[in-house]
Amino acid sequence: MIQKVLVVEDELLLNQQLTDLLENAGYEAVGVTDGNSAFAAFQDFNPDLILLDVMLPGKTGIEVCREIRAVSGVPIIMLTAKTEDEHVVEGLEAGADDYILKPMPSFKVLQARIEARLRPMRQSEVSELILGPLVIDVLGHEVRRDGVRVPLTPLEFNLLQTLAESPKQVFKREDLLKKVWGYHYDADTRLVNVHVQRLRSKIEDDPDNPKIVVTERGVGYKAGQF
Amino acid sequence: MFTKFVAGIFDVFRRSIQVRYVTITVALSVAALVAVGGFLSISIGNGLFQTRVDQILQESKLATSEVQKTFSATGNTDVVSLQTLVNEVIPNLEQNIANGSRKVALLRSPNQATNQFLQSPISGELEISDIPVTLRVKVAETSNRLVYRSITIISQGVSHPSIVVGSKVVIPVAGDYELYLVYDISDSQATLDFMQSTLALGGLAMILLLGIVAYYVTRRIVAPVERAAMAAELLAQGALDQRLPERGEDVVATLARSFNRMAQSLETQIGELSKLSKMQQRFVSDVSHELRTPLTTIKLATEMLESKTDELDEKAQRSLNTLVSQVARFESLLSDLLEISRYDAGAVVAEIEPNNLGDVAQMVATGLEPLAETLGCELIVKLPSKTADADFDRRRIERVLRNLISNAIEHGAGKPVEIQVGVSKSAVAVSIKDFGTGMSRSQMDRVFDRFWRGDPARKRTTGGTGLGLAISLEDTHLHHGWLQVTSKPNQGTTFRLTLPRREGGIFTESPLPLGETLSQRSRI
Repeated sequence: MIQKVLVVEDELLLNQQLTDLLENAGYEAVGVTDGNSAFAAFQDFNPDLILLDVMLPGKTGIEVCREIRAVSGVPIIMLTAKTEDEHVVEGLEAGADDYILKPMPSFKVLQARIEARLRPMRQSEVSELILGPLVIDVLGHEVRRDGVRVPLTPLEFNLLQTLAESPKQVFKREDLLKKVWGYHYDADTRLVNVHVQRLRSKIEDDPDNPKIVVTERGVGYKAGQF
Repeated sequence: MFTKFVAGIFDVFRRSIQVRYVTITVALSVAALVAVGGFLSISIGNGLFQTRVDQILQESKLATSEVQKTFSATGNTDVVSLQTLVNEVIPNLEQNIANGSRKVALLRSPNQATNQFLQSPISGELEISDIPVTLRVKVAETSNRLVYRSITIISQGVSHPSIVVGSKVVIPVAGDYELYLVYDISDSQATLDFMQSTLALGGLAMILLLGIVAYYVTRRIVAPVERAAMAAELLAQGALDQRLPERGEDVVATLARSFNRMAQSLETQIGELSKLSKMQQRFVSDVSHELRTPLTTIKLATEMLESKTDELDEKAQRSLNTLVSQVARFESLLSDLLEISRYDAGAVVAEIEPNNLGDVAQMVATGLEPLAETLGCELIVKLPSKTADADFDRRRIERVLRNLISNAIEHGAGKPVEIQVGVSKSAVAVSIKDFGTGMSRSQMDRVFDRFWRGDPARKRTTGGTGLGLAISLEDTHLHHGWLQVTSKPNQGTTFRLTLPRREGGIFTESPLPLGETLSQRSRI
């Protein structure tokens, strides 16, 4: 099955270059050059992954990200030329799974990030996990709380599953980056922090006082004890 | 303790204009008052004494002449009558006086031919020894004249300042006698004492008053000066909005106005400068950011071409290689520019964590082995026996060491490069020593300047950006460390990086030696 990538990047030449390279690498790629048409393109094209520039004419990448996140958990990788922290964190908080800085070291690096996001979920030995009030349906990629489905992005699901599978283990942020994001070096631990916050806001009763995903001060995170 | 106190007082005296001037005023007025008061006291005392003496002499003269008259007028020459007369006249003299009392003694003059046959009457509380011998001699020598002396008579343990007046009295038949009249002048002394103590008290009050006046006067002058000094100090520390109140037309107001004008122009100019500097930093940052997008595109296009290398002929392939390497150089230049513009904007925060400088140095050296091998250079890493653990931003220090070691390899003329790590109680250090081309003094002074290159014609193996050492220096200063260099042409160069072991720690010496010609760069 050919996987589809939507490229939202206002720089026309860079956009073309990216779609060409993606097609060259065996993906089906479509490019959009402004923020306003990004959502429509997403609906038409139904991509498996989105590369999303932050600085866009019309709607910003952050707004587009929020819009898409409201209806879909499709993996989103933000492209940003701004190294300033606020944009990275803002993008992650808007729902981006990962980000990559422009200029990217090479297309190969970008491709590795894309593949990490498109890689199928790890096979689990169990089909269902129970974590406190949550029922994690590993096969169905679904989380239910009191019988009600909680909408999680694949990445959030993966994060929760990783923690739930080893309920006693404390995961360092670097461990989670490796397991969930597929990073082996040069990782930004803020990815973990922001996604844990997002996950908590969906599954916890009181996200400020979490019981399911617990912070182990100075170390990392672990599943809550029930 | 005492010396400390004295030193403290001296310090206050030295530092406070006001204390100094009040002290000087008080000291001078004390001197003036002591002089005037002393003069007054002495002349009043003399005046009082003289008046009293005159009065006493007058009374004595009267008394003496009456006594003489009485004796001369008597017709009796027998001893009993004379004795009776003497006993009658002399004690009478004790009372017969305007104020106070006097004591009386009638003594027979010595060395007379006749025998003494009259008893010498003398007042109680008076001893013959109270009358000075010198006075008796004087009285004996003179006739018809009064002679006096100041004496002190001690009666019942109280000393009474007195004046004794002596004169010669001739008693018929009996011969020459000396009449002594002793006047107590305690009352005059008391008046003098009272006057002196009044004078002293008045003087003290005067000094106190002068002190207070001096304090207020100096306060009026010193306070604005102090305000100005404080404002100037704050201004110097960077509080550019400091102003002084401008009141009146006097010299203090002129000072305030000039100060305010100066502060205003300073504030304006510094504001301008910092605006310009911000604009410039902003420009560098913007340019770097703007260049990134096309650079990304070029790079991706190059990658596309690279994936089709087989379809290119040899010349095109060579062009492609040039393109790839130059794009890489462009990129590192751009990221260095961005890094330095972040430093210029003051937007850099170090991520200080516990680390081991020995490990970092070893790791960087290992990473640079391939480059060293290409240039036929041996990397020698010397680690200390103690672990060189310290708190620093690993990424930045790695960058500094990578830069220094690759520079050393590049300029080392194929000779070995020594990397030595040192550790002391307060600091850790790495020195990187090559034995290559070295630098002259003037080159050494510019080595940390941006885009400076020792030899513009030099072959660039590693394609440095010219910003490496400038960034290294910024990285070092971010850690409050030292980055120093020493070099001699054709002998080699040594760079030494010294860092405090703990964040905010202070060190005064590097654990490693640097060499003789030291050029310490500590630009902030």
